[in-house]
Amino acid sequence: MTMEFLGEFLKVTVLAGLALAGILVILIWKKGLATRVTYLRFLVQVVAMVAVFYMFTYPIWQLVLMIVILVLPLFLGRVFCGWICPFALYMDAITLIRKAAKVRYRLLPDKLNKSLHNLRYVLLLVFLLLPFVLVLLDPPGSLDLATLLALRLGGPFEPWRVVVGPIIPLVVPWVGPLAIGEIYFSYPYVQEVILYSQVVFNELAVNIIAVVFVALTFVGSFFVRRVWCRFCPTGSSIAVVNRFKGFKWAPLLHLDKDEEKCTKCGICKRVCPVQVTEVYEQKGGKINTSMCMLCTRCVEMCPYEDCLKVKFGGKTVFKSRNWLEPSTIE
Amino acid sequence: MKSQSEEKKYMPELPEKEVEELRKNITATSQRVVAENIEKMKKTDPHRPEGMKYFDEIANFSMREKEIREAKQKGKKVIGYTCLFAPIELILAADAIPVRVNSGWYDASKLGDRIVPVEVCPVVRSTIGAKMIALSPYLELSDALISVLTCDGMTKLGEILSDYKPVWAMSIPRVKDSAQSTRLWIEEIKAVKGQIEALTGNKIKSKQLKSAIERTQKATKAFRRLQELRKGPPVIMGRDAMLVNQTYMWDDIDRWTEKTEALCDELEKRASKKDWACPPDTPRVLVTGTPMIWPDNWKVPTLVEEANPQGVLVADELCSGERLLYDPVGVDEWSMSDMLNAIAERYLMASTCPCFTSKDGNEDRINWLLNKIKEWNIQGVIYYVVRGCMLYAMEYTRVKKVLDRMSIPVYYLDTEYTREDVGQMKTRVEAFLEMLSARIDI
Repeated sequence: MTMEFLGEFLKVTVLAGLALAGILVILIWKKGLATRVTYLRFLVQVVAMVAVFYMFTYPIWQLVLMIVILVLPLFLGRVFCGWICPFALYMDAITLIRKAAKVRYRLLPDKLNKSLHNLRYVLLLVFLLLPFVLVLLDPPGSLDLATLLALRLGGPFEPWRVVVGPIIPLVVPWVGPLAIGEIYFSYPYVQEVILYSQVVFNELAVNIIAVVFVALTFVGSFFVRRVWCRFCPTGSSIAVVNRFKGFKWAPLLHLDKDEEKCTKCGICKRVCPVQVTEVYEQKGGKINTSMCMLCTRCVEMCPYEDCLKVKFGGKTVFKSRNWLEPSTIE
Repeated sequence: MKSQSEEKKYMPELPEKEVEELRKNITATSQRVVAENIEKMKKTDPHRPEGMKYFDEIANFSMREKEIREAKQKGKKVIGYTCLFAPIELILAADAIPVRVNSGWYDASKLGDRIVPVEVCPVVRSTIGAKMIALSPYLELSDALISVLTCDGMTKLGEILSDYKPVWAMSIPRVKDSAQSTRLWIEEIKAVKGQIEALTGNKIKSKQLKSAIERTQKATKAFRRLQELRKGPPVIMGRDAMLVNQTYMWDDIDRWTEKTEALCDELEKRASKKDWACPPDTPRVLVTGTPMIWPDNWKVPTLVEEANPQGVLVADELCSGERLLYDPVGVDEWSMSDMLNAIAERYLMASTCPCFTSKDGNEDRINWLLNKIKEWNIQGVIYYVVRGCMLYAMEYTRVKKVLDRMSIPVYYLDTEYTREDVGQMKTRVEAFLEMLSARIDI
């Protein structure tokens, strides 16, 4: 009974949320704020989170989502990270709290930022290899290797989940790590953290680790904008492909800079939530860094007409303009 | 016996009578020159935009001088600056009046010769001369000066002027794009903020600073609108637009924005009626180099636009011109520290002053010129340098190389703060414009 009621309640909430988002779109459009990318991005993120919540109610959608995450970036770059990822929405929400509290964000040193960028491959490898390592550590016993491997991959350890990790919404439609009443709460990667630490630690320690993880990411993203995006393993697929010369054609969606229109005022560097310096430093042309999440904050803020552009397959989708309309910038 | 602190380090003690006489003479000349220049501008474009009336009025120093005097009596402070790197937003946020105090009087530069050698840039010499005889109302009225140590002349100018009033020197890093430069410059901005607060007695809070930034952004917006209008066939003469731009250096910023927007409205109407200020096939000229300052140093634009064949200035790269306003302060978060960072970066990194170098050696200036040439459809460039302006003179070779590659004719015009070479310059400018119009015909 309660479950059913809760399900209905959730559905109504979600529908109401979508309706609200629709109204917001119309309002933004009417106010002429449609060009304000930051508003639009928040909206897309909220709608995407609701959609992801529904997707997670059916296992098959998880698979679709995973394929989307793995294949789409080849052509669209990391637009997923910038515009859809729910974890990014949490971090942006925390940023809003920080702004309200009038606390200054901290910058990571450029060198550290670049090495964090490489850390994502290490994380990805660790997550993918861990089940196999566990197989080796845990002697097969009576079961043969193939069966055990199948158990490991399908069982509690689902290495592919590392890719879906950040997409897990706060409220989950399955039995999550934390329950208040009948509603289960989760947090990106927290299930993985619990699962993997269970191998070594007892239950109390596991809980402490989970709480510490949540607290760390919260504090981290409070002081550093989009801290997780800097080394998130999910963002690696496009990055891996971009490293090879033969795949430079692959990203259909990319940033383009007109060097002659640039005055090197440094705004693009300062407003970037993940401190990408390439947009500022590169001398025009296609910006190829895989650190960029295509959140287009720089394009929004660049005050020089046509200097920065978002191009989709050679066509300009969005470009920088003379944005000087005071008071509505934020 | 004068005490050590009262003794002037540079300035000579001139007899009262001589000062009075010089001031009378030069002020009279100045009044005449202002009237003459405006008259000439009216003659060049017989149906000048109505909106220019206001700028003609404010171009005459006495009107704004009176206003500032009244504001001062009410307790407002006036802060002068010599280079455009002084953070105007901070001055506005502290409820003070910013004025640029560089002098454009030819006659005053001869007085400056008594203190510094003739080899020194005439802008500096003229400012010194103006101070000697209390010629510039803005320099006289300012309670303190922000002296940004850009070129050698400006560095010592601040020192010389400190004989009269408090001068806050801001040392600007010469490398534009390194992290340590930005750090130093932000510290300088913070220091000057403290000094402004101490002088005015108003603490600069983030609310005031935000509104000050928004005010300058509005001004930039109005100015950019005017620039956009100049992209097409000439809807306004270059001198008129330059005067609009110059008056920003001393006018009340909100009123200036309002009047410029009004002017743009009028020009837009004219453009839709295809009512041009001069024939659309007039050679389009860009002028770059040493600042040209109202009222006296108006000879180059006058020559270009009164020459036969006529030319029209559609863009410039002067720190007394477009560079004053072209770059906005782009704030990411409206917190105090981010606003200060944004202000610091706008003044340091976006500037194309040749006093800088960077990893690619002030390539920003080249890019600026290339962009202007393409977007504003420039047919010829006048590279204007006054004697003694080393930095602009030295960058000429590089600029010429780039422009040659694009086959844009560039003409190096070196001159002085003097009226004597106008006749000779006229011949040279006319020859250049003739060549340009011949190229257009082909």
